[in-house]
Amino acid sequence: MSNACESSDSSPSRREFLTATAGAVAALAATGNYAFAQGSDVIKVGLIGCGGRGTGAAADALQADPGVRITAMGDVYQSQIDASLRNLKEQTTFGDRVLVPRDRQFVGLDNHERVLESGVDVVLLCAPPGFRPVHIKAAVAASKHIFAEKPMGTDAVGVRTALEAVQAARSRGKCFVSGFCYRYASTHRAFYSRLHDGALGPVRAVHATYITGPVKPMPPPSARPAGMSDVEWQIRNWYNFVWLSGDGLVEQACHSIDKILWAMKDVPPIRAVATGGRVFPNNEGNIYDHIDVFYEWADGTRATMAQRQMPDLPHNDNTDYVIGAKGVGIVRFSSAEMSGETRWRTDPPKKSMYHLEHDALFAAIRSGKSINDAEKMARSTLAGIMGRMAAYTGAAVTWEHILNSKEDLYPASLEWNGRLAIAPMAIPGRTALV
Amino acid sequence: MNPTANAAPARAARALHVLLAVLGAGALIPGLLLPSGAQQPAAGGKLPPFVQTLPGSVVKVRMMPVPGGTIAIRGRQATVKPFWIARTETPWEAFDAFTNSGPPSPAYDQTEFLPDAIARPSKSYILPDLGWGHNGYPAINVSFLSSQMFCRWLAAGTGRKYRLPTEAEWELACRGGVVGPWKLDKATLDRVAWHAGNSDGTAHPVGKKQPNRLGLHDMLGNPGEWATDLDGQPILCGPTFLDGPRAMTPSTRRRQTPKWQETDPQFPKSRWWLADGKFVGFRIACEP
Repeated sequence: MSNACESSDSSPSRREFLTATAGAVAALAATGNYAFAQGSDVIKVGLIGCGGRGTGAAADALQADPGVRITAMGDVYQSQIDASLRNLKEQTTFGDRVLVPRDRQFVGLDNHERVLESGVDVVLLCAPPGFRPVHIKAAVAASKHIFAEKPMGTDAVGVRTALEAVQAARSRGKCFVSGFCYRYASTHRAFYSRLHDGALGPVRAVHATYITGPVKPMPPPSARPAGMSDVEWQIRNWYNFVWLSGDGLVEQACHSIDKILWAMKDVPPIRAVATGGRVFPNNEGNIYDHIDVFYEWADGTRATMAQRQMPDLPHNDNTDYVIGAKGVGIVRFSSAEMSGETRWRTDPPKKSMYHLEHDALFAAIRSGKSINDAEKMARSTLAGIMGRMAAYTGAAVTWEHILNSKEDLYPASLEWNGRLAIAPMAIPGRTALV
Repeated sequence: MNPTANAAPARAARALHVLLAVLGAGALIPGLLLPSGAQQPAAGGKLPPFVQTLPGSVVKVRMMPVPGGTIAIRGRQATVKPFWIARTETPWEAFDAFTNSGPPSPAYDQTEFLPDAIARPSKSYILPDLGWGHNGYPAINVSFLSSQMFCRWLAAGTGRKYRLPTEAEWELACRGGVVGPWKLDKATLDRVAWHAGNSDGTAHPVGKKQPNRLGLHDMLGNPGEWATDLDGQPILCGPTFLDGPRAMTPSTRRRQTPKWQETDPQFPKSRWWLADGKFVGFRIACEP
């Protein structure tokens, strides 16, 4: 079955991007950022997607640099912008730097275009993940510095196009920081740096868990207000639709998949097999509530990703267990430890990783250096999509397949008041591997 | 409502009360929580213990009587009437009975919110139990509001006067009749408390350490516990599993700081959950 997934037409450039063993941050062009060499210069930031996380990212940005001003906001709901503005402006430490008059509040499916045209230097891309590739491409085309929340997209076509757009514009030296925030956590940097220095010996396997409750359960069809379009109904309940969230595996457990890849020095797996399904009915939603993925590398190293989003069960776990030849590493939300030949534990973090990722972004913009997380972000997101595809189809899905997959979940036409059929929930063996 | 109106629990309660009287609390738990040089006041308090079944649930909470008294709280005298306090910190299965009792409240709606017995925790972004264990483990990462709403929900569902303890009540319950300076030798400390020296940095199941004279477990160590101070403000009472032996006294206190929610990635931060409050729990009190 896996042979059927393979294809030989992958372009060399694409393969280069995604199969290279991540020589950390590749050679970075330092051009185009000198406008901000002065500490007093204002950096204008636009927020696209004004929900709880987007507003959180705006707060992180404001606290990262005193020159940051939030100057534009976009969302599909005015009420989201209103709430976001109100909550940010209430803050005594940075509320006075939130300067978004009515004519820079943009509502609608094209809100990102108008935020990008409003004269901002940086955009925070925090809309549901299904929109991320569209937003990344537009922000790159507009030559903005970008903070993009994880994941990078919900399907292989979207992620690849987003990455290609960022890579093609690399010579401009704009920053691209991803919301895979563990990469910026002092605790996790210390752990993976020791791991790569051989503290646990060669990594034999990683067992990652994201065994939790549901994020935003789907309301019943009867809760849909009269006259609300299919498109709005799905976007309002975005977590429950694969084209918008990518499934819980891709939307949330992607953090754990990102850490699996980090443990593997960002070498992508060659193959994934997965099982999954839904135990708790979820109205019209078409995502699963559990997926377990088994990843395999060329040298025989393996990783498992156990993911679950079911309500109120008697046990939860969100941990990575890194099994090395000389010991075991245990990685949690804000700490990590090693045991075996050596015992070691991280110091408590002094600053949250959400702050640190924005500190890094704005420090880079100020200093004229460039950070570009796009390649790692694409790889980790694609590994998640690979796992979902394996669970949805029952097929063994190869990395080669992901690099060439034609799966494109973004609707061919998207109108706010438009019709949009809900794809049926995947059934392994019947759902085709695309 | 008088809890003794319920005949069977009342009989059991009376029996236990008699047993306590015969044996003497000290005989049940020899040598416990008796710091050197401390005095032992006369036994007081006539309330019988009782068992509360949570509404719509099979989970039970054992409520223990605490005699009244006066106590100095940071320089202010407080008088406490006899009351009940839960034998253990509120475990997850009890907290779940509350969160599962209806739909969660909107996560970030700050304007339309009226705290009442119907308000329930929103879905948490963080994994509140941190994977340390669920049933039998103390509910942690809970805000003062969450703890307070648990009590309101329980009061509404039972007709009894459940609430968080006051700081004075909490300290009186923690001391269990012991007045004066507080000292515990290391062996005693390990028998009664999960602290930095034996907790491995995590919370532990409730009720595994020996109780104090009032039959209360984990007043010292394991998570700290929410209470209202003399001015009605939130205060976290008691040392936690992250504190060293020297902090293992009934007078250890904490006020919430932004650090307790720093890694909550959402804004505004959750009103229900403390992303960095792994040492924050609560136990319920009840007025006669």
